[in-house]
Amino acid sequence: MSVKRSFGFAIFCASLIFANAAAFAQQVGPAASAASAGAIDGAAAGPGEFRSLDEEVQSLKEEVLALNRDLFLLEEELLFPANSQVAFFISMDVGEYFELDSVNLKIDGKEVANYLYTERELGALLRGGVHRVHMGNLKVGDHELVAIFTGHGPNVREYRRGATMSFNKGIGAKYLELEITDRASKQQPEFAIKEWE
Amino acid sequence: MKRMKVVLLGVLLVAMPGFFAGGSFASSGLAGQEAPDFVLKSASGANMRLSEYRGNVVMINFWATWCGPCRQEMPLLDDLYSRYERVGFSLLGVNIDDDSSRAMEMAEELGVSFPVLFDERKEVSKLYQVEAMPVTVLVDREGKVRHVHLGYKPGYEEKYLTEIRSLLRE
Repeated sequence: MSVKRSFGFAIFCASLIFANAAAFAQQVGPAASAASAGAIDGAAAGPGEFRSLDEEVQSLKEEVLALNRDLFLLEEELLFPANSQVAFFISMDVGEYFELDSVNLKIDGKEVANYLYTERELGALLRGGVHRVHMGNLKVGDHELVAIFTGHGPNVREYRRGATMSFNKGIGAKYLELEITDRASKQQPEFAIKEWE
Repeated sequence: MKRMKVVLLGVLLVAMPGFFAGGSFASSGLAGQEAPDFVLKSASGANMRLSEYRGNVVMINFWATWCGPCRQEMPLLDDLYSRYERVGFSLLGVNIDDDSSRAMEMAEELGVSFPVLFDERKEVSKLYQVEAMPVTVLVDREGKVRHVHLGYKPGYEEKYLTEIRSLLRE
């Protein structure tokens, strides 16, 4: 009798196990088919997904560039606040009388810039470009600027000329332009410093 | 104590050659960074700016007239320059002597054809952390320092050749 009971109990347990397994398979089955359907959907939507990824990458790049630009401007504002900022620009309108090689700037006797110009940069200046040769901070008051231009003058002779200007730095940014022009009447280059209003 | 002395001596013997032989690996902190821009006057009279060579593979070789290995190396560099200049390779020889006239004499004597620039103020050599002679820096087309070689020993030109060819192919 006990053997029969044990056998019966074993069959009952086995049936329970199989029933659970079937239920589990049924649960997995739909999920698996859902997953495979998802995979199929994914495969079908592949190009679309890549396109949107590409767009996201592009917009991220644009954001990074914009941030970089903002950072640069902020850095400039912090380092050279508008109320003490002073900037010096070089412009050229020369043809025959002067080939610029370098510019040296001194403010109140202290050298602040010494710039060598390459052929490419000279070409840009001759085509109307304006070069910001120095930007710095100055206190309010009177200051003296000495600009020394080195290059080749008429007849390809070595040429070195200076220009001096006293200017008053008030509240607000100050911009000064160092202009090199031909003076046909004297057959010589002319160097002038002027303030931008 | 005796054992410790032997160990210390062994360590020194291994480490010493590294100080004097001149490294051929990128030991400078500049490797991987953007090459600092500079402009210098050249022997031809023209001013030359490194950033205007962007798009080319550039080799910057720092040398001096008092440097023996530089004399050995420069003609070999000139060969590389002649061979690869037309396919986008530039070589700038930066001399750091106080007197540029001696540098011009030596360049003429060696017959080099690559541009020789004068760094009399030592500003550029400071930018590139030049502490030994010669120093050879390889910059890729995007302006990044890729290889730095300190000193020169026969055979280095083979490494330069491999690196230049690899950078030109990029």
